[in-house]
Amino acid sequence: MTTGLLTTTVGSFPKPSYLQKARNQFAAGKLSRDQLDELEQKATREVIALQEEIGLDILVDGEMARGDMVAFFAEHLPGMEIGGLVRSYGNRYYHKPVVKDAVRWKEPITVEMWRFAQSLTDKPVKGMLTGPYTMVEWSFLEGYDSFRDAVLEMGKAVNYEALELDRAGAQFIQIDEPALSTRLEDIDLAIEAMAIATEGLTAKTATHVCYGDFVSAYPRFFDMPVKQFDLEMANSSQDLKDILKAEGFPEDKEIAWGVVDVHTHEIESVADVVAEIHRGLEVLPPERLDIDPDCGLKTRTWDEAEQKLRVLMEGVHTVRKELGIE
Amino acid sequence: MIATVVGSYPKIPNKPRPAKLRAAIAKLDRGEITKEQLAEIADDVTIEVLEEQVAAGLDLVTDGQIRWEDEQTYLARDLEGVSINGLIRWFDTNMYYRQPVIESLLKWEAPITVRDFTFAQEHSAKPVKAVLTGPYTLARLSIDEQYGSVEKLAVAYAEALNQEARALQDAGATWIQFNEPAILKHKDDYTTFAAACHHVTEGLTAQTSLYLYFGDAEGIYPQVLELPFDLIGLDFVMGPHNEGLLHRTPFTKKLGLGIIDARNSRLEQPAAIAERIKQLSAGIDPDHVHVGPSAGLEFLPREVAQEKLRLLAEGVRQAEGVLV
Repeated sequence: MTTGLLTTTVGSFPKPSYLQKARNQFAAGKLSRDQLDELEQKATREVIALQEEIGLDILVDGEMARGDMVAFFAEHLPGMEIGGLVRSYGNRYYHKPVVKDAVRWKEPITVEMWRFAQSLTDKPVKGMLTGPYTMVEWSFLEGYDSFRDAVLEMGKAVNYEALELDRAGAQFIQIDEPALSTRLEDIDLAIEAMAIATEGLTAKTATHVCYGDFVSAYPRFFDMPVKQFDLEMANSSQDLKDILKAEGFPEDKEIAWGVVDVHTHEIESVADVVAEIHRGLEVLPPERLDIDPDCGLKTRTWDEAEQKLRVLMEGVHTVRKELGIE
Repeated sequence: MIATVVGSYPKIPNKPRPAKLRAAIAKLDRGEITKEQLAEIADDVTIEVLEEQVAAGLDLVTDGQIRWEDEQTYLARDLEGVSINGLIRWFDTNMYYRQPVIESLLKWEAPITVRDFTFAQEHSAKPVKAVLTGPYTLARLSIDEQYGSVEKLAVAYAEALNQEARALQDAGATWIQFNEPAILKHKDDYTTFAAACHHVTEGLTAQTSLYLYFGDAEGIYPQVLELPFDLIGLDFVMGPHNEGLLHRTPFTKKLGLGIIDARNSRLEQPAAIAERIKQLSAGIDPDHVHVGPSAGLEFLPREVAQEKLRLLAEGVRQAEGVLV
């Protein structure tokens, strides 16, 4: 590995069309669990192979076994269930999860897939979890009188899962809190829950939060008890970059700096990526600056995701050479 | 007392009932049915939704806004001067709306919701209220490339919506409601908001209401009591300070009590609802109290929404002291 500007991704990859089709068939009862597992593994192999071929440093399994990031865990946690259909926009509906009862953790949910992905590569594969605040905020809440109690108890469930990944050998564990971006007034609660979720971990911890008004939550946001903040920078306003540059960033922490927008079909140029990396270097030295896309890649097509990652990697090579670290 | 809703109602039921509207929109997208056929299905669903509200025991219902893609697009796209942009999160909810872009001067050309209203009124066993998104919220959630200030855009929207409201009134609407969640997030803009409210209600003789939700009115109360509406609806679920405001300054208009959580599936029980109504409406003529959910019901699965309304109506009847 080089000594700086490590490359990674936020977590999800687009699902190949055969897997998309298989998931629908499974939902309709036309495909067995074993058959679906096999196709999820095939897709995971392809995701790992792609990341290796491009030359990324810290890999992910691409979340081939997951649909919605909250519903996936809700299906496996005692106390949670999948509720009725709710519309999200246009003609799109989803089954909104429900916190029905006291939330418990019974058995590992993500470890088997993580182990499988890690067995395919010598590079580290990140363990990927949905954070306690997001799990509760994006679900209906029936089993608790207090939102706060539910979030903190969810923190314990997430911690059990994170400890299992840690014991299995995950060097990086990322616990995402996208729900926080629209409700930064709840930052204290999210921090408290994250402290519970990360307790006792030896792995390096990270969190991803999508675009939000971080400027108003600065610097409290960076008290979140994780080592690395994975932030959507390509698609964020200049304000956050300005405040980071002017006011600084905790010396013991790192940023994974998003350099390609995941919400557009358009592929950035290498020059765009290089410019965004330089903006990151104005805030942090290369040892504490990882480079990644803004957000999960699952909304892109496979080709778009691949092209965006290639451009990202080329931009990183360019800057590493400039810095003499490659 | 009147048991009612704030506006939207879930468009599709869960299995085993068929999701007719969802299937029809998918068919339209694939070119398998025409727009006219979709409109017929939307009419069928409107009737279903009206019947569910009546069966639940409501006194005043809406068409469920089941034709509305979201609270912005449905009104804005038929105004001259507007195009529709990409998806963006609607406040802090799990729903998204498409952002209207104001490309040139706004102009109201023809009624947008009048046919929906008259259809609903003709097919409802209970009175139907007309519901519109208010001019300030429309302005706040639009991209302005024409007017240069939220105030000018809000007034332009208000003038357009005033024509829509007059058309609704001419069609027989006795209640016309404006939903304005955005002002609670931008209370500094109160002067602009008040100006838009005056424009939008100008010349209306139907009863008018203003619904404020996703927060409390601290900072703009009691000023809102001076606005030209007959009723003001407040959110007592997401607006914890609203109760204190009522104690501080007596409420002088008809009151909309948003006390059922429109964003959570946990069911409120009638006895607790009745108790809450009594606490909050003390000193107000019961005939002047409308009780409902905190916001539109589209955040809930259909069956949960209907059950919430049934419990709500039961709570209202208990509060009135009528045996159910």
